[in-house]
Amino acid sequence: MKKILTTGLIAGCILFVISYGGLYLGVRFFPHLFVEYNNPLFNSDGSRDILFYLHAFIISLALSWFWDRFKVLFKGSFIMRGLEFGFVYSIIALLPVMWISFSSLDITLIMVLSWFLYGLAQAIIAGLVFAKINP
Amino acid sequence: MQYKNILPVAILFIVITCFAMHKKLNNNTRSKTWVVSQNSSLSVNGSTNINKFSCVIPAYDHTDTITISKKDEGYILTGDIALSISSFDCHNSGMTRQLQKTLNEKQFPLLHIRFLSLNQLPEPIAKPEFITGLVAIEIAGVAKHFEIKYQISQDDQKVIHLLGSRDLNFSDFNLTPPQKLGGMIKTKDQLTVAFNLNMKSL
Repeated sequence: MKKILTTGLIAGCILFVISYGGLYLGVRFFPHLFVEYNNPLFNSDGSRDILFYLHAFIISLALSWFWDRFKVLFKGSFIMRGLEFGFVYSIIALLPVMWISFSSLDITLIMVLSWFLYGLAQAIIAGLVFAKINP
Repeated sequence: MQYKNILPVAILFIVITCFAMHKKLNNNTRSKTWVVSQNSSLSVNGSTNINKFSCVIPAYDHTDTITISKKDEGYILTGDIALSISSFDCHNSGMTRQLQKTLNEKQFPLLHIRFLSLNQLPEPIAKPEFITGLVAIEIAGVAKHFEIKYQISQDDQKVIHLLGSRDLNFSDFNLTPPQKLGGMIKTKDQLTVAFNLNMKSL
């Protein structure tokens, strides 16, 4: 349990920097991709900002538990294990969620694809961290 | 006997005085009335850290009047233009809904512009003339007074074109500009309200 929490927190810190750093750069250099977020569908009063920034730790801790439970199934070098882990998570968890989101919410395909790729990148980075520090 | 002679004189004096006062009052409040036509428009322009937006009410769907009266202290305007927040079009459905939500459309469905005064009487000429005046703008139930520079002109069909614009802040009306994705996308506090009123003199 301690190992799960430790690796989860380490991955959380790394994901926090990479995810929000990447998002900041994305907003700065590709602003047109974010115009659709000016929509009441997305929280606008700042009341949930803390939850937004905690996401990196929530996904890291959840993936850390998943990794610890099923890591024996991922074979090969740490890069291959991290990549496979990321793809498995994306296919099992992200794809169905993105599918139902696109089908039921007034959001664009670009938006959903960007969320899928964002989640995939997060899961691969977390997988690489787990494969390295909790093989 | 003497009192009998004074009474008609006194009545005559009162009648003449009342007539003179009425005439003076009438001269001082000589007024003109303009009817705001339906092809008048209003726009709200603003920006975020990623884009600019321009939201318009392309056609005014009421027929209102503005009355201008000469008073000792200047030119007083009387008239209220009520614009429906739901008529805004930001050329992007999400941004339109966002503006309506930010302006608290459910609770305050109308934006009011009340014309209060002008510094001079506009001349009915084709050449645009610049005048200033006071208006009260009411958004989300909060009214603020602003001085506005108008451009006024009259075309061949005797339609008076009144153009005015003014920079405002969301915060002037106790509104919070929206922010998204943990504050990475922020709407700037300042926005410009511009209106183009087409009016005919009654």
